[in-house]
Amino acid sequence: MKWSGYKDLTEITEHNDAELDSLKRRIFFAGLVILFFAAIIVGRLWFLQIHKGDEYRNRAENNRVRMREVAAPRGSIKDKMGREMVTNRPSFNVVLVREDSSNVDELLKKLATALDLDISDLWERLRDASNKPKHIPVRLMEDVDWETLAYVENHNQEFPGIRIETIPSRVYHYGNLAAHVIGYLGEISKKELAARDTEIYTGGDLIGKMGLERLREADLRGEKGSSFSEVNARGFEQQILKNVEPLPGNDIQLTLDAELQKVAEDLMTAGDKAGAVVAMEVKTGRMLVLASTPVLPIDQFVGGISHKNWDALLDNPKNPLINKVVQAMYPPGSVYKMVTAMAGLVADVIDKDTVLYCPGHFYFGKRRYHCWKRGGHGAVNLKRAISESCDVYFYQVGLRVGIDRLAEMAHKFGLGHKSGIEMEHEKSGLIPTKEWKKKKYKKKWQEGETLSVAIGQGFNLVTPIQVCLMTATIANGGKQYLPQLIEKVTDPDGKVLSRFEPVVLDELKGEKRFLPLIRTGMEEVIQGRRGTARKVRIKGLTIGGKTGTAQVVRLKQYKHLKEEDIPYKYRDHAWFTCYAPADDPEIAVTVLVEHGLHGGSSAGPVARAILESYFGERLQLAAEAEAKTKKEE
Amino acid sequence: MLRIDRRYFHNFDWILLALLVGISGMALANLYSASYPPSPWGIPPYIKQCYLFLLGLLGILFILCFDYKELHFWNYPFYIFIILLLLFVLFAGNTAGGAQRWINLGLFKLQPSELAKLSLVVTLASYYSRKEQPEGYGLKGMVGPVLLTGLPFVLILKQPDLGTALMLGIIFVSMTVFAKVRWQTYVCGIVFGSAAGVFAWFYLLKAYQKRRIETLLNPGKDPMGQGYQILQSKIAVGSGGVSGKGFQEGTQGHLHFLPERHTDFAFAVWGEEWGFAGSLFFLTAYLGMLIWGLYVAMTARDRFGVFLSFGVVMLIFWQAVINLLMILGLLPVVGIPLPLVSYGGSSLLTTLLGLGILMNVRMRRFQIGQNKEKMK
Repeated sequence: MKWSGYKDLTEITEHNDAELDSLKRRIFFAGLVILFFAAIIVGRLWFLQIHKGDEYRNRAENNRVRMREVAAPRGSIKDKMGREMVTNRPSFNVVLVREDSSNVDELLKKLATALDLDISDLWERLRDASNKPKHIPVRLMEDVDWETLAYVENHNQEFPGIRIETIPSRVYHYGNLAAHVIGYLGEISKKELAARDTEIYTGGDLIGKMGLERLREADLRGEKGSSFSEVNARGFEQQILKNVEPLPGNDIQLTLDAELQKVAEDLMTAGDKAGAVVAMEVKTGRMLVLASTPVLPIDQFVGGISHKNWDALLDNPKNPLINKVVQAMYPPGSVYKMVTAMAGLVADVIDKDTVLYCPGHFYFGKRRYHCWKRGGHGAVNLKRAISESCDVYFYQVGLRVGIDRLAEMAHKFGLGHKSGIEMEHEKSGLIPTKEWKKKKYKKKWQEGETLSVAIGQGFNLVTPIQVCLMTATIANGGKQYLPQLIEKVTDPDGKVLSRFEPVVLDELKGEKRFLPLIRTGMEEVIQGRRGTARKVRIKGLTIGGKTGTAQVVRLKQYKHLKEEDIPYKYRDHAWFTCYAPADDPEIAVTVLVEHGLHGGSSAGPVARAILESYFGERLQLAAEAEAKTKKEE
Repeated sequence: MLRIDRRYFHNFDWILLALLVGISGMALANLYSASYPPSPWGIPPYIKQCYLFLLGLLGILFILCFDYKELHFWNYPFYIFIILLLLFVLFAGNTAGGAQRWINLGLFKLQPSELAKLSLVVTLASYYSRKEQPEGYGLKGMVGPVLLTGLPFVLILKQPDLGTALMLGIIFVSMTVFAKVRWQTYVCGIVFGSAAGVFAWFYLLKAYQKRRIETLLNPGKDPMGQGYQILQSKIAVGSGGVSGKGFQEGTQGHLHFLPERHTDFAFAVWGEEWGFAGSLFFLTAYLGMLIWGLYVAMTARDRFGVFLSFGVVMLIFWQAVINLLMILGLLPVVGIPLPLVSYGGSSLLTTLLGLGILMNVRMRRFQIGQNKEKMK
């Protein structure tokens, strides 16, 4: 108790009586000050309530100056090149101010007949709002067309209390492009309202429900304005007295390239393919394409989605509501072989010249493990093993490395944990270890399971963005970048609030010396004579990649069937992941087609189209230059 | 120490308790009326305020268990704790209406700036009571109190919460003048104060704060902007007339013409529904509480007790005066609540704790030998 300067309490109680008395005399003056102000307050009350009481009572009864909120235009969303993807347009709602209508019953009947509306729906809307004060407008119709608008405006004398409310609503210039990234808006729910600041949100406000609209709500929403107007006794606005303009939200520029995104979505949709397409700049982590199909019809959400449409979305077996880029997990299949190869090289159980023999199968324990090529690959080295995707080679590498070291390498490539991209409900995938199995199943790890894991089957699960991240890490020499999708955020005055900045999450150290070996194998996949993705070749561009087939079920009954005859939901998933140009990679593209059977034929063409579009100009210039030199010769 | 002597019970301040319960009862009824129509979600404000009132009574009970002189020891740790909380809200607090003021505690949002007012009262009381200056304080003696006030003042101003910051300044001035200062100090204070005011007007005040002051000086200029609140509040009080419109019959509040009707403008609802008679009744009780507080200061047994009770009375008094003058259209809208009446957990708790300190001083107005012996 040193800080007080006293040793104990007794010292404090000793005091000078004369001093205390003079202090107490001053209290008397304080009392006078209090009485003085009390007198002022009572005087003022008398003045307001008695002297001017009647006047104020009159004013209270005729108090018709009303403040109304004016919604702020939300910020726009643009693509990498500054092309507008999402902006606003004015939309018109028909609203009722109950306080201004003497006979609501009759009014609604009249309105329903005039506009051919369902009166029970109108009543339900009124019931929902029964808790709200009577001067707060209740929405009767949302986003009405010009005809209705003109009718209501022209006949406003017949509908006292009915008003038109103008609010900004969303326009999607590219239709449903990048719907899962952008997300949609909806009316704020009671739960959401309770969790938020009531000074910013009120019932009936629109709020981001999904995607960036939700995640970047604070940036996009802007600040409401207010409008003061005088209303007469029948509820008609006589004149606007004052407007406080709303402050528009901040604009967001994405790293996405709308044209590339369109190529991806169009091709996937045209082939009726469900799945995901991801493309990123390998040296920065900028996401160029983030597509999930079937696309989400965000335009249906403007002004509220109908029950019918919502149920259709829920019932669609291809799950349009799921953002497959981050929210769906698949076995990686053969694209996982890069992890096994890298782990083998790092653990020094193989090198570039190690040759293993593939007779088409491999015996382990009492089981026979097949290679996808029943006839066998013969003697294969690492390069061939990757380019021809030899399972037997990787069974053996996996066994030598062991499950835990495989898992360690998988994490270094970005698998098995969330990438951290700004998207909702990201799944972390699953990379099994001995400890994981013990915890989850209370069982010991079986060596045979390592074999399945080594070729990307078994417990392994990954998301499309993780595979793209892995490809980028291999391509850029070992750096794992944080995938980002926002280039910059600017305020309405054009001031830049935040700008893209690459973030390195993890980096391979000495191990990165093995990456060129892996890349040689991946380049052979496309350029090689026997590569599994020869169809993806583009003239004038060297590409490195890997196909993958992820088994969904292993059912004997389907074995004898031709692929086209297997029921859709039992068909294998198809992966293709690649980077280009091979000598100095710029972009990584990953495509997953659900139940697409073969990576090379089903997923490959989508990746190829993206590369063609991305390098289009450069390829054309190179081709022209070549043609010119040929002519000259 | 925790064992309470029966004589303390005998000396318990029943009058203050009665006043406090009576005023709070009126306040809760008023809050009930002001929060009509009920919001369909969340706990209604008057229920929340009830809980907090009970919590505050427990707080008072807790305070009564200790001799108020122990505040000499706990004063600085408490002060530092408050400063840390203020720093915390500045960097991580909840934002509302563009100001960062709150820490969300679930039941209510803690506003450390409210607690800072009480903390300052205790700190200054401790400081002035320890250093007797029969001639009055010189400039040198002012360094400590100015720094102790300045730190929370600046932190609160930064939130920005001009009203509460000014409140700290007013507490400082009241207690310092009460402690007696030399005339040189007055001169310096006035010169420095007006210089700071001019500086603040040009560099520190935000545009909306300046507008509020301008509006008050010239209310006709902007009837729809800042003038709106004051005008609606005057209409509410004035339309109450002699006997008021009756409980829950006020139109200004219920039709949402009156802004902030259960927080800063709560008394306007009272004035509208109970009229001049009801207002007078309420003010009498309130005035009684303040005068009784001064009486407690008069009868305190030592310097610290006098300063403490005086400080608490000033804390409540100045907030009430500023709030009421604002509602009655005589001061700009500055966001200062009416203690015990305005809805808000932090303000209510702070006020109740302050009144707890008053009761404590009253209860221990006689030297009780046994206690003293135990101390030795």
